[in-house]
Amino acid sequence: MHKKLELPGIERIRARFLDMLEQRQRALAEHALAAWEGSTLQEINDNLAEARTILHQIAGTAGSLGFDDLGTIARNNELAIDAHLDGPNGKIASCPTEIIFGLDDFLKSSEALIAGQSAMESA
Amino acid sequence: MKILAVDDDPIILELLSHFIEGMTDHTLVTAECAADALEAIKDNARAPFDSFLLDIQMPVTDGIQLASQIRAMKQYMDAPILMLTAMSEKSYIDAAFSAGATDYVTKPFEMTELKARLSLVERAVEGLATRTSKVFAAKAVTHHDGRPERAVQLHEPMAIHDVNNLIEFMALENYVQQLSRSDLFGSICFAFNIRDVEIFHENMSNFEYCSMLSDVGEIISDTLEGCQFLMSYAGGGTFVCITESGWRPDPKLLANNINISLAKTELFDNRGQHINPRICAGKAVRLMWKTNSSVMDALSEAHASAEEATANYQKVQNDFWNVGRTA
Repeated sequence: MHKKLELPGIERIRARFLDMLEQRQRALAEHALAAWEGSTLQEINDNLAEARTILHQIAGTAGSLGFDDLGTIARNNELAIDAHLDGPNGKIASCPTEIIFGLDDFLKSSEALIAGQSAMESA
Repeated sequence: MKILAVDDDPIILELLSHFIEGMTDHTLVTAECAADALEAIKDNARAPFDSFLLDIQMPVTDGIQLASQIRAMKQYMDAPILMLTAMSEKSYIDAAFSAGATDYVTKPFEMTELKARLSLVERAVEGLATRTSKVFAAKAVTHHDGRPERAVQLHEPMAIHDVNNLIEFMALENYVQQLSRSDLFGSICFAFNIRDVEIFHENMSNFEYCSMLSDVGEIISDTLEGCQFLMSYAGGGTFVCITESGWRPDPKLLANNINISLAKTELFDNRGQHINPRICAGKAVRLMWKTNSSVMDALSEAHASAEEATANYQKVQNDFWNVGRTA
């Protein structure tokens, strides 16, 4: 359950965030898969960079809307991708398993959050 | 205040709109990219913005480039610019301050923090309006000898534009406050003071005085080129510098180099008279192990040390001519 903000009218923005989260998680999954299956350095790194941009946006707003845990997971994944791309392994055409596992954790958390919200709304 | 917020994330813009318009008296205009922001600036030319909130990471033109472009506009040379940033963007924050940012707000926002930062911005905007009105008032008033009234006070910090790594004093204070414990470990501040600055201030017009400060600032910046630093004019003829790269500056050696450059550069006042500003350096003050408030004290210490160096220099000069004299 998310922590409620005191700001009145925040529910509308929270609902929009969750709508966008569905689209973002789909895009994130596509980029993660493309990076994992990529064969060239550019293909892998470009897809990781796209995934990183999506995570960065989620991490920047989730906390303000009361989804602190999701924001933290997004930020940790963002930092992991940054560390990979900026490090020596960022020059090798290989996508680390840890990054894919991290993204998988994020996607599971995201799906659970959306499912939890839908259940609350229909209750 | 009329604020322009620029962020490529629509949720951030919605949050800002919701907060700023719902909880404050400010007016918010939003843009999703730098191009739209520049268009909004053009469209609002008749009723310009008072301040800006810029996301750092945006596609095509990022917030740092946009801050530089806004700073290059005459109308917005002094307007407060707050960067919207994540904690992971430390290197970007440094670049943002260099590009002219006044402060930053960390994402995700804490509404209380955002409110506090906006209050500071509002005070800065009010201060700016007061200073601007003083400048306009000064244009109308002249001394009995025909010299224009001075708008810049001797001990007042002043914004100097178009000098690399030279930022406003308020921005330097904000910059220092955001340095983490590990950043502080390698950080050192030091300052240079212009000798006889009171005489320059007394005898020059406002324009001449500001130009002289700008020239000295540029020469200091050029001398420090290649070292990672930020500097600011803190008033009273003093430029405060800070480096966090682990580089250990030798202020006296730097002062010699700066004075050599000043000697080589021909500076003139409006009457074509040659002017010879020279500087003294204070001691280098390490920032490690300092807390937030004592970091600010360290800036003051560096500032005071440079002024003391000037006072000592002038005393030595006077004593030299008095050697052997008796009453």
